[in-house]
Amino acid sequence: MQSVHQFLTRVGAGFIGWLKSWRGILRFAAQAAVEAFTPALYNSATRSVVQKQIYFTAWQILPGFTLFAAVLSYVLIQIVVTTARDFGLSDYALEVSIRVLVLELLPLLTALFVALRSGAAINTEVALMNINNEIRALEEAGVDPMRFEFTPRVIGGAISVFALTALTSVLALILAYLAVYGFQLWSLPDFNRVMGQVFTPAAFVILSLKSLAFGLAVTVIPIRAGLEAPRMMFFAPIAVLRGMVRLFFVLMIIEVASLALAYI
Amino acid sequence: MADDAERRALVDQHGAAALVSETMPLRANLSVLENIAIVPQYRENLPYAAAADLAWGLLARLGRTDCAFKRDPALTCEERFVAKLLRACILRAPIILVDRPALLLPDIHYPPFLEATLGALEGHYQTCWIVDYAWNAPLYPPR
Repeated sequence: MQSVHQFLTRVGAGFIGWLKSWRGILRFAAQAAVEAFTPALYNSATRSVVQKQIYFTAWQILPGFTLFAAVLSYVLIQIVVTTARDFGLSDYALEVSIRVLVLELLPLLTALFVALRSGAAINTEVALMNINNEIRALEEAGVDPMRFEFTPRVIGGAISVFALTALTSVLALILAYLAVYGFQLWSLPDFNRVMGQVFTPAAFVILSLKSLAFGLAVTVIPIRAGLEAPRMMFFAPIAVLRGMVRLFFVLMIIEVASLALAYI
Repeated sequence: MADDAERRALVDQHGAAALVSETMPLRANLSVLENIAIVPQYRENLPYAAAADLAWGLLARLGRTDCAFKRDPALTCEERFVAKLLRACILRAPIILVDRPALLLPDIHYPPFLEATLGALEGHYQTCWIVDYAWNAPLYPPR
């Protein structure tokens, strides 16, 4: 009986801790969102942090990521076009390619790439800042860490994910056109008609909201995980591990939710 | 201070004071110049160039411009102390508390160094208190 009681207490404490942690993430996201729309946030110092975040998250990876997205898109488009031709469904090849790539795959891949590269770095940096007492030192120097360090990173991260998704999507659309119609412009009306079928207002809103949610997730969750780390050095890797696992599940949940909204 | 409890009580009592302490590190991913300039840049919305000029001027007063572009791990104890002290000076707090200088400057005879540094910054701060233990009193010149 004693062991059952201990087990239930342990499970309950774990569950309450889990709930508290998610409440912390949601509260932090809400606070960052409110501050992002507060004009007073934007001064010379915070603008500089936003610019740096965009530079490190989007600009630095632009050539490599664009090339990767172009190659992947072209290969997938070719697979879809060839398979559709084999089954006599060539008319649907373009629409299927665009739906798979632009609406689903590229936004998710962009978010995962940014999460692995910048999310992990942000998580580690914030955990170390927290452990080394740098956050408290900033407050002591009259600088609000939420306004100076965290919200600008969330804004920069969200803009970066949104911009990279838009760029790779446009690239995929161009490649899809070239793969299906070849190097000529006479099929633009047909292409536009398919675009109209795919990008309905609802699909466009879902895609935009999904990209925004991905952008928020890849910065909010790592920052919060870093802030939750107890102030002991050996907790730094644990904080990064927890943040990254949490981020992966949140990205998957956003993707599944967007699929459910669009197709169910 | 007679002991650590008394020291903590004094630091807590002066919450509005700018603390120069081992427990208040510099931002590790910013240079010394940026660590100092960030205060007026954030608090007074100065453009970075103007804030950096202010910070550079303070570093020049102490003859420490050579460490302006170094980050925390590359600094010597003196350079780190100077960066923290200037960050406190530029904040224009009514009181600067230099907490346990022996921890900040472990390898030098710090009382003359403190006197020279604070002397060079005359006019850039209102009051500066050095919080040290009573058993270190003989290190300081009599007043």
